[in-house]
Amino acid sequence: MATGLGVSDVLKARKNYNEGLASTGRRERATWFPLVLLALLVLLPALQITGGHNYTLHLMLYAMMYAAMASSWNILGGYTGYISLGHNVFFCIGGYFSGMLLAYFGVTSLLTAPLAGLAAAVVGFAVGLITLKMRGPTFIISSIALLMVARILFDHWQFVGGSNGVTLPQMDIPAQWAKLPYYYSMMVVCALTVWASYRIKHSKFGLGLRAISQDEVKAESAGIDTRFYKVLAFAISAFFVGMAGAIWGEYITYLRPNIFLIILVAANMVLMCILGGKGTVAGPIVGAVVLIAFNELSVTFFGASEINLLITGLVMVLALKFFPAGIVGTLARKRRLPRVLDWD
Amino acid sequence: MLSSMLQVLILGLALGGVYALMASGLTLIFGVMRIVNLAHPIMIIAGAFVAYWLFRLYGVDPILAMPIAASVLFVIGVALYKLVFEKEAASAKYSEMTVLLTFAVALCADGLLGALFSNTQRVTTPAYATDAFIFGTVFIPKGQAYAGAISLLVIGALLAFLNFTRFGTAIRATTQNRAAAQLMGVNVGRVSLITFGIGIALAGAAGALVSFIFSFFPAKHWEWIAILMSLVVLGGMGKLVGAILGAFLLSVIAAFVGTYFGSTWSTMTFFLALFVILLVKPEGLLGDRQEEA
Repeated sequence: MATGLGVSDVLKARKNYNEGLASTGRRERATWFPLVLLALLVLLPALQITGGHNYTLHLMLYAMMYAAMASSWNILGGYTGYISLGHNVFFCIGGYFSGMLLAYFGVTSLLTAPLAGLAAAVVGFAVGLITLKMRGPTFIISSIALLMVARILFDHWQFVGGSNGVTLPQMDIPAQWAKLPYYYSMMVVCALTVWASYRIKHSKFGLGLRAISQDEVKAESAGIDTRFYKVLAFAISAFFVGMAGAIWGEYITYLRPNIFLIILVAANMVLMCILGGKGTVAGPIVGAVVLIAFNELSVTFFGASEINLLITGLVMVLALKFFPAGIVGTLARKRRLPRVLDWD
Repeated sequence: MLSSMLQVLILGLALGGVYALMASGLTLIFGVMRIVNLAHPIMIIAGAFVAYWLFRLYGVDPILAMPIAASVLFVIGVALYKLVFEKEAASAKYSEMTVLLTFAVALCADGLLGALFSNTQRVTTPAYATDAFIFGTVFIPKGQAYAGAISLLVIGALLAFLNFTRFGTAIRATTQNRAAAQLMGVNVGRVSLITFGIGIALAGAAGALVSFIFSFFPAKHWEWIAILMSLVVLGGMGKLVGAILGAFLLSVIAAFVGTYFGSTWSTMTFFLALFVILLVKPEGLLGDRQEEA
């Protein structure tokens, strides 16, 4: 060629350019922020030296649990675009799996949580093989049906205590420190989930998932094994929810289907993602914090759980109508997103 | 043996009529607007509450309360469509968006009814609810017989309305092809509004009948979502006749399963059927294969 440039030169130049862009992005990224957040969470239990902060710890644990679950739901619902309204089934499976190991063999859930996650992921994989054949509204309906099937099974399965559930033995720790093991375990689960969510979004796998959410047929014809990608996303998102369930089960010391298998748990996961911003890494966490703070206030003012349900629904309608992209998504679109929240 | 099977068949068919009425509004709304209305079952329960309070406070028979429940729910339906769904027509992710919106509406209504009336089990008790027709060895509970018969009457009226009136034709045209209907001069927006109202009114009418054959409480509707969806999906989404067929078929199957395996499994029939249908024949019995929205 006249210019003396080969194809390989062009490719190399393009690669350099892309890497340059990526490293600029990395330099501008406020990586310090999640780390500082994590450090603060690690240090928070120090408050307990003076005592009287069990409620704060409980609230943080609860928020971290939902941040983990919402982030996990986001892998399927946000990146892949498959809305599951029965994701608490995996929360339940995780809780019961570890809970039964604890009740029958005395092994603490904190150790068996990864196994519980794995059990949830296996079930998720199997269920996904069936239900992910459907798309759009039909998938959503099948996820509700899954929840109903699980509810009937757990309500009538005597081995796991049926609808009365089982009471789990408590750890022998003075009340002042009793929450700490669960607090730190949940923190690990939460951090792991968010990290995984970040890594997935920035991987070829994540790119495939997002292609599926844009246009599944085109994604398929572009060479993505959409079936495998979807099912894997479903299993991964079941895994972390299952782990959270395992720790939560031992933390509250009893398992009962009407704790795990109520629609409000699933609704919360969905709503947190919508509020914070579906498909963003930071969105589910922001959503979880906002919604839990809001719920806590509404429970303080109104009490009854029915009102809480009403308010959850109202917030969801308003969020869907006026902020369909969520807090993080809307801010990003307006280029007003503070750098500390730009985790994508 | 034979007479006991006949007995189960009759009970299944009587309930099938009511299920058909419950599903008819759902499938009508899906047909015209492509909205999967997850809030449909809670509207049925709202209708049941209207009948319940009319019965408790004024002694109005639930069957006579049916038109009142339907009218109240019609107004609610129209208001809901105006407030929540009308502007969504332009939304890019329409089907996903509307499902989530109906889910949120269902949460609201569930919470509201629960807060107002609490989640205790209720049932209206007109005299016929505990009586039965007896023919030799088989019997039909009067409540279920009346409810089934009236459901069929209402469905018949609905079919007549859809097939023999101008507005009904407009609804059917919109169901078949929204864009073409609009080009032919059908006011699609108005058709959608009225159809949504009619669909929710049908839920209210079904609720009045449900009030004396099932005990109900607000949180029960989650179970019904999956039940109704299985009927509608079996018949083919948006196909009214299909939904009626599906309702009778599954109701009879569930009645047999309930008799021979216990009542827990009779509910399970619907859920498992839903999975099986979606896997084997997702377009349903009468549905035509349509592209996913």
